[in-house]
Amino acid sequence: MSAPTGLKPFENDPDVTLAAADERDTLIISMGPQHPSTHGVLQVMLRLDGETVLTAEPEIGYLHTGIEKQAENLMWQQAVTVVDRADYLAPLSNSLCYVLAAERLLGITDEIPARANVLRVMFAELTRIASHLVWLGTHAMDLGAQSIFMYAFEMRERILDIMEFVTGARMHQSWFRIGGLAIDVPAGFLDKIGAFVDAFPERLRDMRAILEQNIIIKDRLIGVGKMSAEEAIAWGLTGPSLRASGVNYDVRKAFPYSGYEAYEFDVPTHSGGDCYARFVVRLNEMHEAWRIVKQTAERFPGGPVVIDDRKIVPPPKTEIQHSMEALIHHFKLVSAGFNVPEGHIYQAVESPRGELGMYVTSAGGNKPWRVRWRPASFYNLQALKHLAPGNLIADVVALIGSLDPVFGEVDR
Amino acid sequence: MPEIPGEGVGQARPPHYERRSTAALTAQLRSVVGEHLLDASSQSDMDEVALRPGGLIAAAAALRAAGFALLLDIGVTDHHPLTPRFEVSYHFLKIVVGGSSKLDPHSPGRFRLRVFPDDADPRVPSLTGAWPNADWAEREAYDMFGIQFDGHPGLRRILMPDDWKGFPLRKDYPLRGFDRRFVPGGRLGAVPPLKES
Repeated sequence: MSAPTGLKPFENDPDVTLAAADERDTLIISMGPQHPSTHGVLQVMLRLDGETVLTAEPEIGYLHTGIEKQAENLMWQQAVTVVDRADYLAPLSNSLCYVLAAERLLGITDEIPARANVLRVMFAELTRIASHLVWLGTHAMDLGAQSIFMYAFEMRERILDIMEFVTGARMHQSWFRIGGLAIDVPAGFLDKIGAFVDAFPERLRDMRAILEQNIIIKDRLIGVGKMSAEEAIAWGLTGPSLRASGVNYDVRKAFPYSGYEAYEFDVPTHSGGDCYARFVVRLNEMHEAWRIVKQTAERFPGGPVVIDDRKIVPPPKTEIQHSMEALIHHFKLVSAGFNVPEGHIYQAVESPRGELGMYVTSAGGNKPWRVRWRPASFYNLQALKHLAPGNLIADVVALIGSLDPVFGEVDR
Repeated sequence: MPEIPGEGVGQARPPHYERRSTAALTAQLRSVVGEHLLDASSQSDMDEVALRPGGLIAAAAALRAAGFALLLDIGVTDHHPLTPRFEVSYHFLKIVVGGSSKLDPHSPGRFRLRVFPDDADPRVPSLTGAWPNADWAEREAYDMFGIQFDGHPGLRRILMPDDWKGFPLRKDYPLRGFDRRFVPGGRLGAVPPLKES
């Protein structure tokens, strides 16, 4: 058995051993990185026997932009903007995790105003709904349901409109800052939220009615990519993918942050462990996220949205025009930033994809020494090489969709 | 450092809620790790043990026996120019699944191992034998920092191109790289490194 010659591109890939290919008359296919159903830039090296997958090796890194390196070279407050760009479907979840970690290192966690915490929870949950809507639209489209994409994106547009109304940006809002929020919400905000809260359940019900008992969807998803609870834990899955295997683990419940313990919501689980279970869990999660948004709108407190500490948060612009001291604080914060005490901390939040963790190390300077991601979809996607073998090549599309990877986060 | 990790106002929560399940574990790990132990401490987010690579496998096995079945993450921090330079940090999550796959909501806890390998030849034993998800995490640690994982089935670059030179997240690797692949004018070639800000 000798390796075919002239196939240099794969010689560094021991997982895709072309030498073994001639044994069973197998076929090697490179799926992606330009494949429409790979949700970005994923390449999967598939070894096929007919239409059955023998091995699948995801090749990642096409979207690597060095975000961790960039964050080390920016000041603490500046780094929020690059941190936002990792998981580009849920930018506020990234920045929430980062600012929580920095606030714990600074020891100002308990000083964050109630209004800021409620708004953080509200927008983290809106982000979750928006992210799951993208997943729903694209996943359904992968399975052949074209129109759901439009329904889902219409609803997502409404959320992005609210984001734009409040922060000025549809995506990459960079709205959460160390010490609170960048700006307060404008007048008329609660009306917009109220309109969304009223409209969403009906649209979700419509989409569920079309998809959940749909015979094609069920045929494509039930029994595909089954994973037991033990397997899911061994592969380090978190988030909806873990809960679809029956493990009731949610960071918001287990290690509450930003006041999540004060909200009433359930953690949807499913015992199926297959693609359909992951599908149903995410649909239920959208409903739970909607419940949290509703509660935040009801208890919307007044007061400031940033802490009153001029060593961390710059003074308001009106004060700068009158006070020399305020001007100096503003100048110092913009030019030199603030120092964070030496230490290291692991902070995790429940992002739409699972446990998004950041292991932040401070050397005492005005820049983070190291921001290590615990990217949820990096670990979720890794399970593909365990799930795909034995399935048909068309099921790989369903599997990628059901793991919901976002390549900004996988590759960072 | 706040005594009680967590946010919000007016919440009633016992201190150190994240390590209800890890109190006795640190003492056990001390004896398991033995001579490789560097330090054991209780941080504001979780308990942690610092050790030399020789004790990693035993410590990880003890954690697994105590219910820490989910390997959350393997990350590396470069403390250059301090020594020991590299810190390989392992985060474990306690997650116990019973017969009915029901998780005790009070059981989750986290634990951190900080492994400090040799500066000149950073080598750490691989955890891929016990945790399949260590595969990519260790490949990334190798890709970005050049840490060698003994026993890894295929340690090669994962995010950077296969022919990349150097380990980008090391502190002595400049932000804009040692050479630029593309220079103005469309030519390929090396240019002097840009000045760091």
